[in-house]
Amino acid sequence: DSNATAVKKFKRFESYKRDNQFPNKVRDLAIVVDQKNATVVLPIMGRPVPFHIQTIKNASKSDEGEFAYLRINFLSPGQGVGRKDDQPFEDASAHFVRSLTFRSHDGDRLQEISNQIGNMKKDAVKREQEKKEMED
Amino acid sequence: MEPLQANVVVSLTRESFDNIYLDLSKESGKCRFAETGFGWKPSGGGDTFTLNAVEIGAAQWSRASKGFEVKILLRHSGVVQLDGFQQEDFERMQKVFKNWYSTNLEHKEHALRGWNWGKGEFGKAELAFNVQNRPAFEIPYSEISNTNLAGKNEVALEFALPANGDDTGTNGSLGGARGKGKKAGAGKDQLVEMRFYIPGVTTKKEALEGEDA
Repeated sequence: DSNATAVKKFKRFESYKRDNQFPNKVRDLAIVVDQKNATVVLPIMGRPVPFHIQTIKNASKSDEGEFAYLRINFLSPGQGVGRKDDQPFEDASAHFVRSLTFRSHDGDRLQEISNQIGNMKKDAVKREQEKKEMED
Repeated sequence: MEPLQANVVVSLTRESFDNIYLDLSKESGKCRFAETGFGWKPSGGGDTFTLNAVEIGAAQWSRASKGFEVKILLRHSGVVQLDGFQQEDFERMQKVFKNWYSTNLEHKEHALRGWNWGKGEFGKAELAFNVQNRPAFEIPYSEISNTNLAGKNEVALEFALPANGDDTGTNGSLGGARGKGKKAGAGKDQLVEMRFYIPGVTTKKEALEGEDA
């Protein structure tokens, strides 16, 4: 039935199954782009927190004073973007992380992370489209 | 104390661990547990942080950044984080907490799916974001400097950040351990702001105002 299909779809993406799969670099309390698992690992209060590329809308870097800033926007309801079946909107009470902003003294690195996220997103969208065409 | 020791089974009176990080400290240190509480001393030298056993309210074991973390929820309020344990230290630590502090060291598995939807839940000392009933992350209330309703159904949390990297909010002799309201400043990349989509927040308010009109 359609509900089962929907559930299956959401289960399709999963960053990690076990906590020993994190890249070693999470030790540095810095943002880690894990290409292999299509995931960005973000340091939140000392914990590595994975976000799958499918949940990310975009990332942008800006400079202000002595710091560079990286803002990561996530897909969430009410933004008028994203296909309806991308996320479990049937759970109307779900909360969403909508954006996270980090600052760093190393602007070049934040720019590189921003580019990597952008490319990973492009690849993910492309793969999804190819999959869709195969299914149709 | 009474000299009863000879009659009891010899047991460890102290457990100690190296390469432990206190509250996202820059430096690691040695952590010693005893019946009365525990102490942490930075390996580079400096003051020792101590916590009395009576202050321990609850304890959790989880995967963190350096290794495994023992998180202590204080009886009154506040959180102490000790990162850098090895996976195989769990049983030893569980015994420490059970025998000496009458506290269950709860094995808390975090969400690893990489989803950005779940439920924000308010605990005693922390806001937890749970994905499928497992926390993806927790924010101690002490680290939130400001909150506001940023838009329709949108709540923004701003984090307290030190003016510069040397300002850890504690006596620097604690190896760079982070004081209250300074944890977001611990890493190379520092969390400044977080925004949540919360359904129904404004809609309910509008509905109520609509009734008034």
